[in-house]
This record gives sequence, C-alpha cells and structure tokens, in this order.
Amino acid sequence: MRRLARWWRALYASPVLLTAFAVVLGLVVGMFVIIFTTTPVLDAWRGFFNSWGSPGHAFKATLDYVGAAYRSMFNGAVIDPASLWNSLRTGQGWTQTLTPLSETLTYATPLTIASIGVGITFQTGLFNIGANGQAIVGGIIGVAVGSSLHLPTVVLIPLTLLAGVAGGVVTGAIPGLLKAFTGAHEVIVTLMFNYVANLLLIFALLSTPLQQPGQGNDISRILRPGALLSPLFGATSGLRVNWGLFIAAAVVVLAWWFLERSSLGFEFRVSGANPHAARVSGINPRKVTIVAFLISGGLAGLAGITQVAGTTHYIDGGFLVGSAGIGFTAITVSLLGRNRPIGIMWGALLFAALGVGGRSMQATTGIPLDLATIIQYSIVLFIATPVLVEEIFRLRARGVGGLQLASQGWNT
Amino acid sequence: MTTTLSHTAVAAPRRRLQRDQVIGLLMVALGLFTAWAFGLGSAGRSHSQFTFNPVNTSGTVPWHLGALTLPTRVSCLLAGALIVAGGVEILWRRPRRALMARFGGGAVLFFLAILLWASRTHGPSQVSFVNLTSVLVGGVAPAVVLIYGSLSGVLCERAGVVNIAIEGQFLAGAFLGSLIDSVTHNFFFATLGGVVVGAGIGAILAFFALRYQSDQIIAGVVLASLVISLGSYLNLQVLTPYPQYNAGSPAPNLTIPLLAKIPVLGPVLFDENGYFYLAVVLVLLISFGLFRTRWGLRVRAVGEHPKAAASVGIDVIRTRYVNVILGGVVAGVGGVALFAWQGQFQPGITSGYGYIALAGLIFGRWRPSGVVVAALLFGMSVYLANNLQTYQVPVSTSILLMFPYVVTIFVVSGLIGRVRAPAADGIPYQRD
Repeated sequence: MRRLARWWRALYASPVLLTAFAVVLGLVVGMFVIIFTTTPVLDAWRGFFNSWGSPGHAFKATLDYVGAAYRSMFNGAVIDPASLWNSLRTGQGWTQTLTPLSETLTYATPLTIASIGVGITFQTGLFNIGANGQAIVGGIIGVAVGSSLHLPTVVLIPLTLLAGVAGGVVTGAIPGLLKAFTGAHEVIVTLMFNYVANLLLIFALLSTPLQQPGQGNDISRILRPGALLSPLFGATSGLRVNWGLFIAAAVVVLAWWFLERSSLGFEFRVSGANPHAARVSGINPRKVTIVAFLISGGLAGLAGITQVAGTTHYIDGGFLVGSAGIGFTAITVSLLGRNRPIGIMWGALLFAALGVGGRSMQATTGIPLDLATIIQYSIVLFIATPVLVEEIFRLRARGVGGLQLASQGWNT
Repeated sequence: MTTTLSHTAVAAPRRRLQRDQVIGLLMVALGLFTAWAFGLGSAGRSHSQFTFNPVNTSGTVPWHLGALTLPTRVSCLLAGALIVAGGVEILWRRPRRALMARFGGGAVLFFLAILLWASRTHGPSQVSFVNLTSVLVGGVAPAVVLIYGSLSGVLCERAGVVNIAIEGQFLAGAFLGSLIDSVTHNFFFATLGGVVVGAGIGAILAFFALRYQSDQIIAGVVLASLVISLGSYLNLQVLTPYPQYNAGSPAPNLTIPLLAKIPVLGPVLFDENGYFYLAVVLVLLISFGLFRTRWGLRVRAVGEHPKAAASVGIDVIRTRYVNVILGGVVAGVGGVALFAWQGQFQPGITSGYGYIALAGLIFGRWRPSGVVVAALLFGMSVYLANNLQTYQVPVSTSILLMFPYVVTIFVVSGLIGRVRAPAADGIPYQRD
C-alpha cells in the first residue's frame, strides 16, 4: 500500500503526467473548436432554453459530433476495434486492421528525424524555425539525384539519402553562418528561408531537370525503383511502413549518444544552458552555432528525402506545404519531447497519430484536417507553460520547469 | 544569463568589419551589379519611358504630365555609378549619421534601374513604359500593412516582450475583417473586429509570457501557427460552405480634396484608403508617445531595465500587459488593412508579412520612423515581385516572388549587424 502511494507520488510529479494532461487540455480545445464551427451543434445550443428536453439534446448533439470526430481519429490512427475484432474472429483482413498503425509509423518516421534536428538547435539555445524549408530543399536535391542516376540499389539509396542531407545542410548552413558572422537573428533568417524554399520548390518542379517529362503541372519525376525505401512487409502487403523506420531509429540512438555522451554534444548543451559560462570555459560560440545548424539542417533534409523515398516517391507543389508542414510540426514535437531524442520519439509518435487520425476524421466526418494541427499547437502551448497545467490539475511536477531557452530576445 | 551586466562585460572588442563598412561594400556591389545587369544588359539603342498620370484614382486629374523618355543603357549605368559612388563615399568618409538615408537612396536608384531595364523598348516587354505613380501607389499598399506590424512590434518590444505572433494577429484580423465587411459592408466595424481579435491574441501572448513566463519566441511562434491553422480550418469549415461570408471588397479610397491633385505625390499620399491615414497617425502618435511623454519613458524603462523601473514604483507587469495588448490591437488593425488591400480573405493571405514586419522592426532599430523606411523598402520589393511579370522579364515568377524574402535576409544580415534591442527584450520579469 505504501509502495503504491509512493509510486503515485512519483507519477504525480513526473513530466509524463504533465504531458498527458496537456494532451487532454489540447483535446478539450479541439472540442470547443468543433462545437463553435459545427452548425447542428451550434443550433442545438442556441435552443438551449427552448424546452425541458433542449439542454439534454444540446449535450447529446455535442457528444455525438465531438465523439464521432475523436473516435474516427483514434480508429484512423491506432486501431479500429470493430476491424480488429473481425480480424481476430475470422483471421482475415489484417491489412485493413493494421493500416492505421502502419500509417502512423510511416508518418512518424520523417517527423522524428526532423524533430531531432530542431531539438538539437533548441538544446544549443538556437531556434531553427526553418526545418520545413531545409526538408523541402533536401527533398528537391534528393529527388534530383534519385530519379536521374542509373545505379544499383546498394549505391543509389545511400546516394539519394546523402543528396537529401546535403540539400538540408546547405540550406541550414546559411542561417548558421549568417548568425555566426553577421549576427543576423536565426529566427528571421530561417523563417524567410521557408518561403524561399517553397518558391524554389515550385521553380524546380516547373523546370526541365526535375519536372516529370510530358507534364505541365508541378510534379517531379518519380524516384528510380532502386532509390526507394521499400515497405517493411513487402510491396504486396499494402502496408506503407518502410525501412525509413530504421533510419529514424538510428537517428534517435545517434542523437542520444551525441548529445549525452560526446564532447561536442556537451559543448552544445552548455552553450544552450549558459552561453556566458560556455564562452568563459573556452567553447567557441561561432563553431557551436554553425555546427548545430549544419546538423539540424542535415537532419531536416534527411527527413525530407526519407518522406519522398519511403512514402510519396515523387514530390509535387504540395510537398510539406503550410503550417501543417513537417518542419512546423517538428518544432512542436521537439518541445513536446523536451528536446531530448527519446522524448522526441514519443512526441513524434503522438503527433503522427494526431495527423493521421485527423486525415481519417476529415474523410469520415468532414471536419477539416486542420483541427489536428490546432490540437497539436494547443498541446504545445500548454507544454510550454507547465505552471498553467499544474494549476488546472493541481499537479506538483516539481523540477520540470518551463521550456526556457538561454537565447531570449534579439540580443543573443 | 542575459542580463545587461553580463552583456556589457562579454562584449569584448573584436576585429571585424564595422557596420558602415559593410553597408558601403554592399552598396558598391549593388551598384556594380546594377551597371552590369541592367546597364550592359540592355541594348545601346533601347529607350525606356516613365509616365506619371495615374491610371485608376478616384479623383479627376487636372494636370497632365508628359512622358519622360530615357536612354536605358546610359541611365542604368548612371544609376549604378551613383550607387557605387555612394558606397565609396561611405567607405571613404565613414559618415556617422544618415547611413540609412544613403542606403535608401541607393535602393531607390536600384529599383528605378530595374524598372527602366524591364520596360525598355526592343526588350521582351509588350508594355513599353512604367507608370511611376502606379508603382509608388502599389508599393505603398504592402508597406502600410508592414508598418502596422512593425509598430505592433515597437509597442511590445519597447516594453520588453517579443511579439512573434504578429503573423497570427494579421491573419486573425484579415479573417475577421473580411467576415465583418462581408456581412455589414462597413469598414468601421471590420476595423473594430480587428481591434478585438488582435487584442485577444495579444492578451493570450501576454498571459503566457508574463503570468507563466513561457519563452516568448516559442509562445509567439506556436500561437501564430495555431491561429494560422485555425484560419485554415475556419476557411474550410465556414467560408467554403458559406461563400457569402467571404464576399468583401477592397476598402474605398478617401480622397483629400485639394492635396490629391498634386502631381505624383497626390495619388500616393492623399488618395489612399483610411488605413493609410491611420498608419500615418499611428506612426506620429507612437513616435511622440514613446520619446516625448511620461508614458513612453516608463515603457522604455520597463523594456531596458525592469528592476530599476520597478524600484521607482512602475508596475512592470501591468505596463507590459498594456503594451502587448496595444501592440495586438495595432497588428489586428494591420490584418484588416491587409484584407482591405487584397479585398478577399484566403488562408495564405499573410504570406510571411508578419515576420517581414519583425525584420522591419529590427531594421528600423525599434523606432517608428525607422520602421517606416524599412516598410517602404520591403513594400517596394513586394510590389516589384508581384508586378515585374507584366514586363515579361526573363526570370521565373517563383524566383521573382523570392525577392522580398531575400531582401529581408540581406537586410537582417548585412545592414544591421549586431543589433541592440531594448535590453530586457524577451527576458521574463520576476517580481522579487
């Protein structure tokens, strides 16, 4: 009994519970958004005082619509209980049953990689808001290489991935160099590069080397079969989860080792925690800034090309577009995972599930996919202010602290 | 760790190019590029024409100015030479003041050279003239929006809170402005909507930044992205099924009777919509308020050294709340101005203007007057990016559209160097 109490107290004070409550609050925000934008629900609430039965009707309408939305989100992202029961009973239709999980893993693969890139800059006290642009350029360069060279698979896959990394590295290097040598604030530069990369994508897709022959639209050539990350369970399985998953896992392990065990990673973290102390102890801030952006950009580029090689196999004008683009979700995932590789992995799985579930929700209930994004951003807003969540739920997550970065304002 | 004290202590002298040298070198490079690309890039016999009569103003024009025909190559070479001369003068004499004015002059010459080159005869262009009045009118329109955004930044950051959510406030203002204008056909109510929603987002940002001391850049980016997804969501969920709620129109121009008839300047300065005049008033008001009133002194004290401000009895948190909400109001109205310029809401309407406005704020060194110069520079590049296509220049549209963003990157990296924001900008304040 006493052990149970101690266990409960430990859970009570852990960041995991805090995160869980933030997720709950995010879902509540999503609920209100649904209520205020769905006509039948609004009508039901408008007639709240019409008759004795009206309040019940209003609550029921709300529950119906919100419940349907969240249920289809869960069914589309994790597992559909009905389908699972059917598969267990008949031994048939496992593809359909496992598709949601496979989709979530597929979506989480590039997201994990990009988020770890963003997390590394956050840990260094830098902001890389431009992961989306870096991933786009990585995708462009990667597709250019992977769709044009005739090489055996053993060579072509690494070459394609490296090309994607190179694209991201180049795009990430510019804000890093500018920050280190001219003091241009990386927030503005990386944000601007997102727009530049979007336009570059359109330009590249409409020019000869990349555009699909015989097409007038903004669609790229398809990657050569040798450049694809093939599905884990074979092309005939119908499940899209692919070997990129192992790339993501390797990135998680390497990033953990780099940040926690290597001396350069230590320099990164010291610079992030206390730039003044870092400088005094002889850490070169310029080097740290540049290298952090190189790594971060490279990972974003890898994420972009992994997405193409594993899932889409070509890019079009809608590649990673908008505020739901992978680079923006990566910022939120990184914050959710407290910028640590392992945490980021879980965060990426959660947000991938939200994204995939959102798509299924859009298909079944007609509620736009953007609701998933709204929920994601709300969760992160709550995560960024643990005090608020603690106040709401009377938690006592001591020692968790807010997400304070050393780099504050424009002067650093 | 980023207190004022440690800052001055760390700022050790380094051997690097001074800011004025960087600007000088940039101007020399810009001048050489102008002379090479536009001067030598056009045939010796080609001509360009500037016209001055406005095409579409609400007032009638009592005057008629003739067209000005210039030989393209010579003019562009001359413009390039002048820019180079300006750069050399900066490098040579190292003037202390009016650096930005010199650079602004160079930028104007550069833009003129682009226009001359694009409209040259025997070039690819079908249009063989540039209407300078239209160019100015067109460049001022985005500049007005940017001025609102940067002023919002001035209000927030002078009090020590970084407002990155301007992009979100723009979007929310544009959305609500469009909605209200579609229903009421009244821009006064639309503006009120912008005020309310801007203040709301400002209040949320202030709440997170001040009460819970979240990282302001993170809170701002997340808040802006949240509002942008909400805008996209509402667009699909509300505006697409009910298109009558997205049927607004651009704001009508308010013509000032006599002044609007001044050649060239009249249509640019005195035949604009209400948001232009409001922006002018705000610039003057905020400029006066910040640097000439007791309120402004308090705000600046809170932004520079909140502990000192608190020690003389200024309520730091309250000042910051008020200013962030005021900043939100200004940015919200800016969003309505954005809609009033475009005439219709769409999810991507802001296209980064909120972030460009932030760059303008830094470029303008946290001063309303500097902000105006920056906004005009960015506004002109937005206009050129959108309109050079009419002259069929041999550059892809997507590359042209990069122009304002690339200018922004150049500006924050080359022209500014290490900036000095208000000392407590972005640093949470804790009562002892």
